[in-house]
Amino acid sequence: MDLHAALSLGLPLGIGIAAIGSGIGLGLIGQGAMQAIGRQPEATAKIQLAMIIIAALAEALTIYAFVTMFLLKGKI
Amino acid sequence: MGLEFLARVRKTSTWLGGVLALMAATYASPLLGLGFGAGVFWSLVNLQLLERIVVPLFGTDRGSPGATQKLGFALLGMLLLFAAGAVLLSLLSPLALLLGFLLPLAVIVLKATSQVLLGSRAWGALIRHPFRAAFAAVALAVVTWFALGALTRATAQHATPTETSAPETHGTAAPGGSEHATGAEEGDQEEGGQEFVNVITLIAGANHGKPWADFLYHYEILVFSLFIALLLLLVAFLASRNPQLIPSGLQNGVETVVEGLTDFITGILGPKHGPRFVPFLGTLFLYILSMNLFGLIPFMHSPTASLNVTVALALTVFVYVQFIGFKELGPLGWLDHMLGSPRDLTGWLLAPLMLPIHVLGELAKPISLSCRLFGNIFGEDMLLVAFASLGVTMLPFQNVPFGIPIHALFFPLALLGSALQAMVFTVLSSIYILLMLPHESHDEHGHGGDAQHAH
Repeated sequence: MDLHAALSLGLPLGIGIAAIGSGIGLGLIGQGAMQAIGRQPEATAKIQLAMIIIAALAEALTIYAFVTMFLLKGKI
Repeated sequence: MGLEFLARVRKTSTWLGGVLALMAATYASPLLGLGFGAGVFWSLVNLQLLERIVVPLFGTDRGSPGATQKLGFALLGMLLLFAAGAVLLSLLSPLALLLGFLLPLAVIVLKATSQVLLGSRAWGALIRHPFRAAFAAVALAVVTWFALGALTRATAQHATPTETSAPETHGTAAPGGSEHATGAEEGDQEEGGQEFVNVITLIAGANHGKPWADFLYHYEILVFSLFIALLLLLVAFLASRNPQLIPSGLQNGVETVVEGLTDFITGILGPKHGPRFVPFLGTLFLYILSMNLFGLIPFMHSPTASLNVTVALALTVFVYVQFIGFKELGPLGWLDHMLGSPRDLTGWLLAPLMLPIHVLGELAKPISLSCRLFGNIFGEDMLLVAFASLGVTMLPFQNVPFGIPIHALFFPLALLGSALQAMVFTVLSSIYILLMLPHESHDEHGHGGDAQHAH
């Protein structure tokens, strides 16, 4: 397998695998936040803020994979 | 049928003419679109002036001095209009001008026909039964489909002769402009390469090979971001130029935004430190939000869809955060913070381990900030472009200069993502600042409160 074939096979797969991890993480974050809001509706604003920050951190991992894909796309 | 009808004609022609002129500017050549738009505008002004002449002559208040004065002004305007028309004819393509001139007249004819048709008895009989109406709609759609196919096939065969027989459009568009024209013929209209057509690519394409056009094209992101910065400056200037105690209009809106941002940032940083950082963080938020949303305006481009801009923003935040750390903690305090604030033996033993972790953590912050913003906005733009080109290729007629705008479905997503990413950038920046501020701030605050209570 030469470099081109490896890259064109690996890049989409890499994004997909990163997206699986991010998706699981985002689901857990959302679940936790929803439960917390359900238990304590008066703290909704604070919980939402924290949720968005952590969701951004979790989502960033997929974005790194996406950026890596674009950096390496030229070599295919 | 009266003045109200004319007003409706004016509205329809304005919208239709604007859209058609933009399409002509994109698919054919910018000058052709300009000519078409100028023709529509000229024709609309002409209609308006005719109305101004006819109303005083035959209206209810004919003969009064006011009416005569209006008539005189309208006649003077007519003279000026024809002079402007002569200038336009010598500058722009006469064919495009003629087409633009005919557009409002066509709108009038179509509207009048539809009014006659809608009032007729046959139409009433047709729409009384849902079944008949549905059948008629389907028949109309099928006929339009085939007619459009036949028409585009016919024009496609004649396209090459007419293109070459109109040398003034090609001559003005020059070698670079034909790049777009050929692109339109081949069918990949909506995108020039990998992004939407924007103002600067259009200008640079029309003036291919000239140094200033190449310079503009190379630095298009800078041009757009400077333009957005100037726009924000202008809004801020206009809103605060004449401040009133009871705000209204623009001042009201801007004050709402600033108050909201102040509340938001103070909520994160606390009432003591918050207000100091509102100018920096609030400006960051507004600037990033405008840059993110700018790509959704037709013929514009998001500067944040380029890694250069986001890295610059993230580096600004990084330098500012380190500066705040030096200023608030002092050099020794900053070093202490980097060592993980060792206070006991375990802390000092772990310090050599904590130093690289903290340094790496600080260095990772700008990378993650910039990559997150870039990836999200760029990915959004890519999504829109991909679906726009899909919408263009969905229509089987290769030469129809329009497609189904399925990318419009993703506009709400893009709006949400743009606002969210601007917010995330601001929140993370304020949290980085918060981490750099003295940790004892709570105790100080408590003491201050006690002191105030005691006195």
